[in-house]
Amino acid sequence: MEQIIHTSPLFWIIIAGYFVLILGFGSYFAKYNKNTNDFFFSGRRFSWWLITMSIVATGVGSHSFLKYSAKAFEHGFSSTMTYMNDWFFVPFFLFGWLPIVYYTRIRSIPDYFERRFNRNVRILATIAILGYMIGYIAIGFLTMGKTLEPLLGWDLYTIIWVVAIVAGIYITFGGQTAVIFTDLAQGFVLIFAGILVFILGINYLGGFDVFWNALPSDFKLPLAHFNQPSNFNFVGIFWQDGVAGSVGFLFMNQGLIMRFMATKSVNEGRKAAVFNILFLLPISTVVVSNAGWIGKAISIVTPEKWNANIALDHVFTEVAALVTSSEIVFAFIIAAVVAALMSTVDTLINAVAAVVINDIYRPIVKEKDEKHYLKAAMVISALATLLGVVAVTFFDNFPTLYEAHGFFHSTMTPPLVIAIFLGIFWKRYTTLAAVSTFLVGAYLMWLGNKYPAFLIGPFDHGISMDPAHPYSYIRALYNTLVCLASGVVFSFIFTRKVEVQLEAYTHRVVEKARTYYAGRSHSATTVRDIFFFFYGGICYILNSFVKNAASDEKLDGITVWTLDKAREMFKGSKPNDTPGLQPIVTWKLEEAEDSFLRFSVNDMVKMSANVGDLVYVSDKRRWLGGLKSVHSVYVEPHTEDGVVYMTPDLLDAGQFVEGKKLRAEKEM
Amino acid sequence: MHELTFFRTWLPVIYLYGVGGIIFLSGMVIIYKAKSIKLERPMHKKWFYVLIFGFVYYLGIHVFLTYAALNF
Repeated sequence: MEQIIHTSPLFWIIIAGYFVLILGFGSYFAKYNKNTNDFFFSGRRFSWWLITMSIVATGVGSHSFLKYSAKAFEHGFSSTMTYMNDWFFVPFFLFGWLPIVYYTRIRSIPDYFERRFNRNVRILATIAILGYMIGYIAIGFLTMGKTLEPLLGWDLYTIIWVVAIVAGIYITFGGQTAVIFTDLAQGFVLIFAGILVFILGINYLGGFDVFWNALPSDFKLPLAHFNQPSNFNFVGIFWQDGVAGSVGFLFMNQGLIMRFMATKSVNEGRKAAVFNILFLLPISTVVVSNAGWIGKAISIVTPEKWNANIALDHVFTEVAALVTSSEIVFAFIIAAVVAALMSTVDTLINAVAAVVINDIYRPIVKEKDEKHYLKAAMVISALATLLGVVAVTFFDNFPTLYEAHGFFHSTMTPPLVIAIFLGIFWKRYTTLAAVSTFLVGAYLMWLGNKYPAFLIGPFDHGISMDPAHPYSYIRALYNTLVCLASGVVFSFIFTRKVEVQLEAYTHRVVEKARTYYAGRSHSATTVRDIFFFFYGGICYILNSFVKNAASDEKLDGITVWTLDKAREMFKGSKPNDTPGLQPIVTWKLEEAEDSFLRFSVNDMVKMSANVGDLVYVSDKRRWLGGLKSVHSVYVEPHTEDGVVYMTPDLLDAGQFVEGKKLRAEKEM
Repeated sequence: MHELTFFRTWLPVIYLYGVGGIIFLSGMVIIYKAKSIKLERPMHKKWFYVLIFGFVYYLGIHVFLTYAALNF
């Protein structure tokens, strides 16, 4: 491709410098990774503000400056729709999924499926979630490639290979703590960079009044036309993004879930989520879209300065180049955007490694030490990077990144979203119904894809069908409904009682077939042979799905209806919810084999704590956000007020500094 | 550019908060019935108000922006 925007060596020095700085910043924190728990979940220790800022970079990066700038240029302020429609599912998330994830200590979403259903459902979920995450990584790489394409003038795939190698190396050695801290820095930088483009753009145009008055009313409406055009309409995007996308992002984005699992408590997770959705998403939507609005205003006010032939996915880069009078500022903005995309991709690569290690590798290669799993996680991170690059070719076929992402969300998320959702919120949802959600749901989705006019048409809300990319967005409604219908209908057919009977029946048939084949003496194949082979085989498969299926006991702690049980299981005894204070203490070492914290009698009274309760201690300096902190249990107290005795393993995990005071708080 | 018909202006807002409102309300009812949110606990009561506030807050933003686009 031809180089559209010309740059000097200084530009590239700044880009490289920014990357070295941000990667160095994250890598410094990689020393806090002691095992796979730290590598993936950062030891559940961080404060809400640190997590919420690191989520910004993941969210903004994944949704990208490029794709929203393109749609903002084409369709105006309605490009903000996707950032402003997440609240409807927040009650489900804050008081449903988040506490379940935290208290059950699930390591991945497939892990949840095994606990809720059985191992075979876990396998189906693993396949679906890996497909989803690899697709997301591919979209991240494609976006990065398109950001740099007009600057480098290189072939798109050469750029993608280069950024993939950098991303792969970084995540392979950094782990989740490094990602969280890199994202923390990037969260601030991104918001700053986006707002800077807006301010510079307004200044370039000659003031806010010029900007506002240049744009037509239609352009300034916050929501798109109800059902026109087919490639950008309100109702399609509501179902694709507001429903499938929001649930997908909140409930099945392993990267995001790992962030919440890194918070020090469920309440901190709730604060992080709410602050992010209420305050940072509205800011983020302006940050990622404004280049498109500014570009449109420039094309109206000073058309001679606007390159009318610019590709939509290059609008952001073009506007940034136009409004920044200095190459240093331009380089900083481009570096911030590319680095943010890197964060998103890194988070997902880390998440893929978590799923593969915990859901595939660990069950096969058992009883190895943590170093072994850590090494395996690094190899898998590298492989995930490679697969992501290969998958780019599929998404490169769509006219814009926005449409590629929309199609991806509409197609990949519904089966998982429905299975997770019904699993959490509907007690009657059975194992075979979950299997049907994946298999029958996927089949009906495939039929919808094959006959869109006939099957998706009735749900189209008046959207016209584009034969090249039929119903890119509204297909999410059809896909969600068919998966939901599969789950509900099969829950009524295969009730728990039926599953128990089915398990006993199929077990009998399999045993009968085994006995038959063991005692078979004739050499010619008979009808009976064929019958036992096929029917026995079907029963064997069916049995593997209904074996250890969901029972009332199994549901303890893993549905929203049994959350008290989840808290009790998390603690190991009845939770102590009596409010208490948070005393400041100094620490001393106590040699012992078990992990514990020993406080004074008076300090325990202050905290309203009892022996056996869970406690969290962190460095007193709040700005550390819990980086130096540890969870443990209270043991029999001593009498030395203001002092906590801790065991060496806790000191090592908490990385506490000699002479620095700690803040103690009872968890439950 | 589209004409400023009802389909372009207010119908999306009504649909968003109508269908979205049903989803939101279902969530509130489920977490209340499941006793996942316990309104007798002061902390949970605060969260309950935050949830309601969030809905009204976003509704307010969309109504305001639609009005501003049409009138200013």
